[in-house]
Amino acid sequence: MNDLVANDLVAVEQVDKAFTLANGGEYIALAGINLTIKQGEFVSLIGHSGCGKSTLLDMIAGFSQPTAGLVSMEGKQVTEPGPNRMVVFQNYSLLPWMTVRQNIELAVKKVMIELSPVEQQQIVEHHIDLVGLRHAADKPPEQLSGGMKQRVAIARALAIRPKLLLLDEPFGALDALTRGNLQEQLMKICEENQVTAVMVTHDVDEALLLSDRVVMLTNGPSSNIGQILEVDLPRPRRRMEIVNHPNYYSYRSEIIYFLNQQKRIKQLRARKQSAIARHGLEKVNLEIGYVPLTACAPLVIAKEKGLFAHHGLDEVNLVRETSWRGIQDGIAGGHLDAAQMPSGMPVWMTVGGMDNKPLPVVSALTLTRNGNAITLDKQFNDQGIFVLEDLKKFLLETPEKQHTFGVVHPASMHNLLLRYWLASAGINPNQDTTISTLPPAQMLANLQAGNIDGYCVGEPWNTWAAMEGIGYTIATDLEIWNGHPGKVLGVREDWSLAYPNTHVALVKALLEACRYCMDGNNRDEIREILSRADYLGADVEYIHLGDPDANTCDLQPSPAAYAHHQFFGSGVNRPSRTEHLWLMTQMARWGDIPFPRNWVEILERVCKVSLFSLAARELGMPEITYSRGPIQLFDGVTFTADDPITYLNNLEIKHDIYMAEIPLTAPVARAA
Amino acid sequence: MVTQTEKQTRTVKLPRTSKPFWNSRTQDILLPILGTLGFLIVWQLFSASGLTRLPGPLSLWTDTRTRQLLMYPFYDLGGLDKGLFWQTLASLGRVAQGYSMAAVVGISVGILVGSNHLLNKAFDPLFQFLRMVAPLAWVPIALVALQQNQPAAIFVIFITAVWPILINTAEGVRQIPTDFQNVAKVLQLSRKDYYINILFPAALPYIFTGLRIAIGLAWLAIIAAEIVMSGIVGIGFFIWDAYQQNYISEIILAVIYIGAVGLLLDRGIAYIQRLILPKA
Repeated sequence: MNDLVANDLVAVEQVDKAFTLANGGEYIALAGINLTIKQGEFVSLIGHSGCGKSTLLDMIAGFSQPTAGLVSMEGKQVTEPGPNRMVVFQNYSLLPWMTVRQNIELAVKKVMIELSPVEQQQIVEHHIDLVGLRHAADKPPEQLSGGMKQRVAIARALAIRPKLLLLDEPFGALDALTRGNLQEQLMKICEENQVTAVMVTHDVDEALLLSDRVVMLTNGPSSNIGQILEVDLPRPRRRMEIVNHPNYYSYRSEIIYFLNQQKRIKQLRARKQSAIARHGLEKVNLEIGYVPLTACAPLVIAKEKGLFAHHGLDEVNLVRETSWRGIQDGIAGGHLDAAQMPSGMPVWMTVGGMDNKPLPVVSALTLTRNGNAITLDKQFNDQGIFVLEDLKKFLLETPEKQHTFGVVHPASMHNLLLRYWLASAGINPNQDTTISTLPPAQMLANLQAGNIDGYCVGEPWNTWAAMEGIGYTIATDLEIWNGHPGKVLGVREDWSLAYPNTHVALVKALLEACRYCMDGNNRDEIREILSRADYLGADVEYIHLGDPDANTCDLQPSPAAYAHHQFFGSGVNRPSRTEHLWLMTQMARWGDIPFPRNWVEILERVCKVSLFSLAARELGMPEITYSRGPIQLFDGVTFTADDPITYLNNLEIKHDIYMAEIPLTAPVARAA
Repeated sequence: MVTQTEKQTRTVKLPRTSKPFWNSRTQDILLPILGTLGFLIVWQLFSASGLTRLPGPLSLWTDTRTRQLLMYPFYDLGGLDKGLFWQTLASLGRVAQGYSMAAVVGISVGILVGSNHLLNKAFDPLFQFLRMVAPLAWVPIALVALQQNQPAAIFVIFITAVWPILINTAEGVRQIPTDFQNVAKVLQLSRKDYYINILFPAALPYIFTGLRIAIGLAWLAIIAAEIVMSGIVGIGFFIWDAYQQNYISEIILAVIYIGAVGLLLDRGIAYIQRLILPKA
């Protein structure tokens, strides 16, 4: 209670809520809810049905009591409902035997007893006008439309001047047009009267329009607050204008991502079984995450061609995620056993790139190299921008325009390559451009809509843009770092320790799949499999494993060569400490992570060369264990693993570099 | 198909509004008359055939005594020798007293039982049991307990009519939507305000259902009660008296009165219900 700030109106502290079931069992609806609501704040509770958002509202209202924990308002425990926490119910709850006026009157007369009848009457009439129901004041509720009824309920609630207004899906039962109008009315009234409000809703746009904060609840049982989004949009807000605010869609996609993720977790939970041990492997039922890109071919082939089963992994399920964030959350949440990851993600997660919580993730296999390119909007081509120097000149000439580029994840090679490429020409990506994170599949649409000026992403999205004439490839990774690691196999370190034999079997199965993918004879078959709706769901024309037809490069000047993927070969699949270190330096260079003082320890933990070598030996592929040497990039800079700190210090364009000791927990096996 | 039926209804509807009332409702009026006439004719033929001692409907007019009663419902020669209007009125008076008591007791006890689930648990089996006791079975008990005909008759009415009112009221109170109760809780209404503004209006449809069932039962009960209680003015005893003296057509006339009054009572309550609860 000490940290209760003066303007906190409501405090929900460590609240649990359990219901006794008919069969004597117990259903834990909410667990460990902490929330404070400030004076004058509008807070929305959002989540899937059954997540306990209405239960939480009921407890704030006082209709029910928490099983554990405390709900308090102005420092006093909430034990029963009261008029200072007035509720606007979902189904209006107007008394049908009273007119509109009488309904409001009942509340005013019974609550504001200290006022004279004349003053009471004035308040009633004022609120009838406030919601514009003068013409219907003497009608009974049944003669009103749903929207009008809800207006009466709002007027009744506001008339008694509650300190806190509680709204339980107030507009859920209304048609879209009425809902929109009412949302604006409510917002106006709340803004003018400084009302503190908590609203339960399942409508993302409604939450964004009205709220200062959106509280997102995870799925039940034992729901808790998954995330709180501060909606920093200027007020007064207008429904039609707010959608044009530059941050609106990132807020919106944040909530939608959360809700989708909850749905997925629910599905995965429903499917989740305990580890099935078989064939001497600790776990043969695996959920493996991937993002639909040409680079996911090894996973798809291992599944389709039975290579997982060949190595004893009988029950592998490929889980398609739309964004790398889904992969990151799935691995962190233990819903995924393993995943295809951007090459920087294992290091990024290990050093705490995700919410500053270090989570050791290991990689024993590089799945692909290359296959990426930088695509710019076609307009740039029309203005004669063909090489990096042209782009630099253009950016410097137009400082008033904000140029935005899309990448798929802070830890992805795309982000780091794009930044490296820009910086090599003297463009500071943090200052001269905006780099925003988008799911791969949304790049093309955003480029076409003019939201971004270009992107760096894996295939098929570069070829696709070129073939559709929306954008053109200005550089491929062949010109920046030929043979850079694209996607790697990542698993949690505790998972790897709990299921060591499974991990080796997984690497072996994928290595064989990589070899299959690299065989030119299989290209058409793989392209056909990838194009299926289960995987990429894209026209086979856009998916290329070798050099595509000439038509992709008819924009002049065409890139040096098509950036086709390398799936297998000498030095292709072996995880490289030097590469992971390069990724670490680059992420630190742009301020995504601090550079760890214990970088040697972290590389040892992340990069599981021994596991890879074991798998390769057992498969009889000794030739591929060849180790790559120092890294050569297009600007002539050689990167060695000897002295990353000097390397960072010598860079000209960079973010402030932070150094930190990253405390890692001792490696412990834990079943995922 | 659909458009065709729409067209048809439209062409039928338009002239309908312009036609006089009896034209548009021909079926509604004509068919009941035909049905009743048919029933009476069959009855008359059946009586005429000599298969039964029951006189036909025409005897209401052909029998002199019955014709007198039919023509002069308001005569009063003192004692039990009164016109059928007075006989009926006396019965109605008893019903009014017993029924009013039943309504007051039934509604108040119903509210009490409905809003307190302990009381409900305690008394519900008893109520359900007593409800099943036929009105006639109460007559001897009432006579023993109250010694006199008049209060005993009123008691029988009361005890017959009270159960549907009580049970329906209690159900109505139990069925008050949680939403309305939540409104009362949030506004922290006093007990009195809750009863007046929420509980009573919310339970009113159920109360009326009980009242309407009860009025029919009360009217049934009074006839039964009066038949057993000799020497009082009332249509029930009138029937019994006529039977004793073998004036069968008088019984038929009284039965017509009873049916008509019962129908009027039921419609009367329904009318009040409509006045108070426009939606029901």
